[in-house]
Parts: sequence; structure tokens; C-alpha cells
Amino acid sequence: MFYQTSTRTFMLITFTLICIYVAFTADYFGLEILTEILILAMIAMALDMVAGFGGMVSLCHGALAGVGAYAYAVCTAKLGWNVPLSIVLTCCFTGVIAWIIGAVCSRTHGIYFIMATLAFGQMAYSFVFESAYLGGDNGLSGIPRLDLSAINIDLFDSRNFALVCLFALFCCYLFAWRILSSGLGRSLVGLMYSEQRSLAIGQNVSRIKAHVFGLSGLILGLAGSLGAQHIMFISPNLLMWTYSGEVLVVTILGGLGTLFGPIVGAAAFILLKHQVSEYTNYWHLAVGIILIAVVMGGAKGLYGSLEAYIEQRLRSRSSTSTNVISEEE
Amino acid sequence: MDTGFWILQFLNALQFSFLLFLLSVGLTVIFGLMHFVNLAHGALYAFGAYVAASVAASYGYWAGVFVAPFAVAVLGLVLYQFLIKRMRSSGPMAQVLVTFGLMFALLDLTRIIWGDLALALDVPASLSGRISIFGVEYPLYRFFVMMVGAIALIMLNLILARTQIGAMIRAGVDNDKMASCLGINVERLFFIVFCVGCALAGIAGAVAAPLLSVVPEMGLEILIPTLIVIVIGGLGSLKGAITGSLIYGFVQTFGAVFAPQFASVVIYVLLALILITKPNGLFPSRGG
Repeated sequence: MFYQTSTRTFMLITFTLICIYVAFTADYFGLEILTEILILAMIAMALDMVAGFGGMVSLCHGALAGVGAYAYAVCTAKLGWNVPLSIVLTCCFTGVIAWIIGAVCSRTHGIYFIMATLAFGQMAYSFVFESAYLGGDNGLSGIPRLDLSAINIDLFDSRNFALVCLFALFCCYLFAWRILSSGLGRSLVGLMYSEQRSLAIGQNVSRIKAHVFGLSGLILGLAGSLGAQHIMFISPNLLMWTYSGEVLVVTILGGLGTLFGPIVGAAAFILLKHQVSEYTNYWHLAVGIILIAVVMGGAKGLYGSLEAYIEQRLRSRSSTSTNVISEEE
Repeated sequence: MDTGFWILQFLNALQFSFLLFLLSVGLTVIFGLMHFVNLAHGALYAFGAYVAASVAASYGYWAGVFVAPFAVAVLGLVLYQFLIKRMRSSGPMAQVLVTFGLMFALLDLTRIIWGDLALALDVPASLSGRISIFGVEYPLYRFFVMMVGAIALIMLNLILARTQIGAMIRAGVDNDKMASCLGINVERLFFIVFCVGCALAGIAGAVAAPLLSVVPEMGLEILIPTLIVIVIGGLGSLKGAITGSLIYGFVQTFGAVFAPQFASVVIYVLLALILITKPNGLFPSRGG
């Protein structure tokens, strides 16, 4: 069950303040990294919604964000529609695609679910790769950014763009919180613990799974369109299955089933990537070893362990204080 | 397009299917017995190809083909002892993640050892000719690959169906707890099967090396087709592995002839249809 505990609220506010501080002090390169972190955090959070609270370990979330990026590029660069409408359409389109994938895959379990989502991600990849209309191997360029000059904000400034991404991430968090604490979200957590019991009390398990998958697709659509606006160029590499795997790594690294954890995971992952890349070309070796170490250690991820520690401290403190009271009585 | 063209396409599809079979059978038997999915299987195949190419460079092709499976089996042994044994009891997600990390680590290790440049492995003189099949000139080496796959299929089928160890493996796939109650050392069986699966991946890498260029990413590229094969066929069965390989090989080859634009999309659509109608694949093992 998802609870917005005071620890999480505190962490979220701290994170937001740190991001705002970084946005106003960092140079151009730092701002680019910040934007990269924020977009990856959105994708990983969408994955946490389905994997951490529904047990649906999806290996196509990176690819779905790529679908969002392509949908946005087609709406704007190819069809010339206006940008706000394109973003809304992108979110809806990605959500519908995600809903369909969720509906088909919800019949499968465990390793078959992972394989099925992997296959769908690859389907999107090979479709984009071979489509001449979508630019194939060369990708698409000339993607416009949102025009906010009406309210005096120039989004071609990387600081403003990073702040917009931060705002989007904040909204996504509120959205995911709302979904997970609704009846739908509670049913999802219930069926993760026991699908048999959910079926026995008359819930339509497949539909619940598909709905939440589709809703996480809305976040992916937003993340994809922001990603496309950020680099202003997209290529089929966005849809590679290894990217979806990296999103899963980020989620695990931060802490599965905490919703805030993926944000921490994204920050740690991107910062580590840039640090390691300065010393060596073999970044994948480092990520592989870290991943094996985190999973074999049975750890709850960076934020997950921290949260467990804090919660335990708080609980022991409150229990000692109740003990004192009971002794006085 | 005359008959010769179709026979040629048919043979190409068959050759590709048998190569996929060599890879997927190891993966599928490991899954059937251990319920363990090894995403690093493709990396083992690439490792086999590299070992074959570097041994063949100094001692000739045949030495490379014979050394590769042993080298990969030794690597599998090390991985089993240090990683996979401990991951046996964890859920599918942890296993997928650990082998995903392993795949990345092995990819970069091959880069560190052999560099980024492609290695080439020449077809040996004794297999460089052409053979006439149904009036079609076909490269002898591709025919050899088909034969290796077919021999592996027959051998595995005989071992699984006729020998005592085959019976023990089948018992382990059906119900591992019951099998160990009957005095079968299931752990040791797992270990042997894992090493044999790795050796098969090594053979596949070695025989595929002269057909493709040996690059670090070859393991990543072959992994997805292999996974599709075992999902279509059903995890854990020999029949499933060969059926899935044939379906994939033929759809891919003939798809490229009829609809080049959609060749690779067709196979994913087919996979989705199979997952909707038969979520456990066409021939799932009883235990899975």
C-alpha cells in the first residue's frame, strides 16, 4: 500500500529545493545533466508505479517513452501542429499504447510477463527502425520546444527548461500518488500480494493491471515529449531494449515500491555515469557490477534502505516514549 | 523467381533455424530445469565466437571449434559457482537483473580483452566448397552448420529420451522436489545441465563466427531472437525450442522476401498473438 509518509514529503521537498538551488548555480553542462536526471526520474517513476506496486516488471518502459518522443516529433516536426496540443496528444497516444500492451501482457506472469513486454518494446523499435517516414536509422530532427514567451519565459534557455522539467516531475509525482492511493491503486497492491484472493473477491485483475499500465503510459508520454524537446533530435536508440533495462536498473538502484526512490536512483545513476565516463570507456562494466552487487546484497536500493532506517528510528523513538508514559502511569 | 530461388530461401531459413536452435536449447533446458532465465546467454555465445576466432588464428579452424565449447563451459562453471547458485531461490526479477548486469559486464570484458574491432574467422578449406542440393548450388559451410544443429537435436533427443541421466533430467523438470526425494542429486544435475547449455552456446558461437563478423555486440543482437524462440516454443521443452526456431527462421527469411518493410514486425505480431492465445507458449514443459 502506498503511503505518503512525512519522510517522503520531507525528502520530496528537500529534493525540489536542491534542484532549484542547482538550477540557479550550475553552469550549462550541469543544467544539461540536471534535465537528463529529471526526465529519467519520470520514466523510472512510471516503472515503479507498475513494478513496485503491481509486480509488473516491465522491460518496455524505456521503449514506451521513446514512442512518446516519436509521437511528439511526428505531431510537431512532421504535421506542424501546435506544441501544447501535441504534448496532450502524445500523452494520450502513449497511454493508449501502454494500455494495449498492459491488457495483452496482463494474462502472463513472472518471467513470461518480462519477456512479453520485452517483445513489445522490440516491436516498436524495429517498426521505427524500418519506417522511412520516421527517418529510420537516421532519426528525426527539427523538433520544437514549448513556446512560453507569452508569459516571458524563454525555454531555449537551459535553466528555464530544467525548471519546467522539475515542475513536470513534481506533477507526475502528485499524479502517481493520486493514482496509487485511489481504489484502483489499492486494488493493484492487493493483487500484487495475492492474485488468487483478488480474483476471489470478484475483481477484474486483468483490467486493473491494464488501467494502471495505461496510466503510467501517460507519464511516459510526457517524459518522452520532454526528452525529445530537450535534445531536439531523436533516433531509434531511444527504443533499444537495453535502455528499458537501464530504467529498471535505476528503479532498483533507488528502491522499488517507494515512488520517491526512482528519483534518487536516476540522480545517482546519471551522476555516476558521468563520473565513471571521465575515467574509463567501460561504463557498462561498472553498471553491471553495481547492479549485481545491489541485487545480490538483497538491498532495498539507496532510498529504500535510507527510508527503512529512518522509519525504524522513528518507530523505536515513539515506542520508547510510549514506554515512558506507561511506566509513569 | 523460379524453384531454385525458393529452395535456396528454404535452405537459408533452415540454416538460420538450426543456429538459433543451438542457442535456444541451452537456454530453454536451463529454464525448464532450474526456472532460471539467463540473459547473459548471448554474451556466452559471443565469448565462444571470440575464443574460436583467436584459437583458430594460430592453430586452425578445427582447434577453435573444439576449444570454444570447453572455454565457455569453464566460464559457465565459474559463473554458476559464484553467482547463479546463490540466485536460485530468488524471484524472476532478481534473476533477470543479475544476468542483465552480467551481460553488460561480459560485453565490456570482451571489449577489454579483444578490443572493439571485428575479428574474422575463415571457413576451413575442407568446407569452403559448394554442394548441390535439389539442383541448387549451396555453400558447404552453411550445410555444415545445419548438420551441427541437426546432430545436436538428435543427440539431445536420444539423451533425454533414452538414457538414465535423461530420465533424471526429465524427472527434475517435472517435479524437482519429488526427484530429490527419490535420491537424485538435483543440484549436481542442475550444474551439469548449466555447463552443457553453456557449451552449446559456445558451439553456436564458434560455428556462427565464419558466417558473421565477430563483434562484441553480437551477443546482444542474437539474444532477442533466442528469447522469442523460447517464448514461442514454451520454456523448458526440446520440442518447443526446435519448433520456435523453425517458426522464427522461416518467418524471418520468407518475411524478408515477401514484405521487406515488415519482416521484423511480423515476428513480434506473431509472438503477441501466441502470448494472447497460449500464454505459456506452444509446447510448455509440464513443470513450467
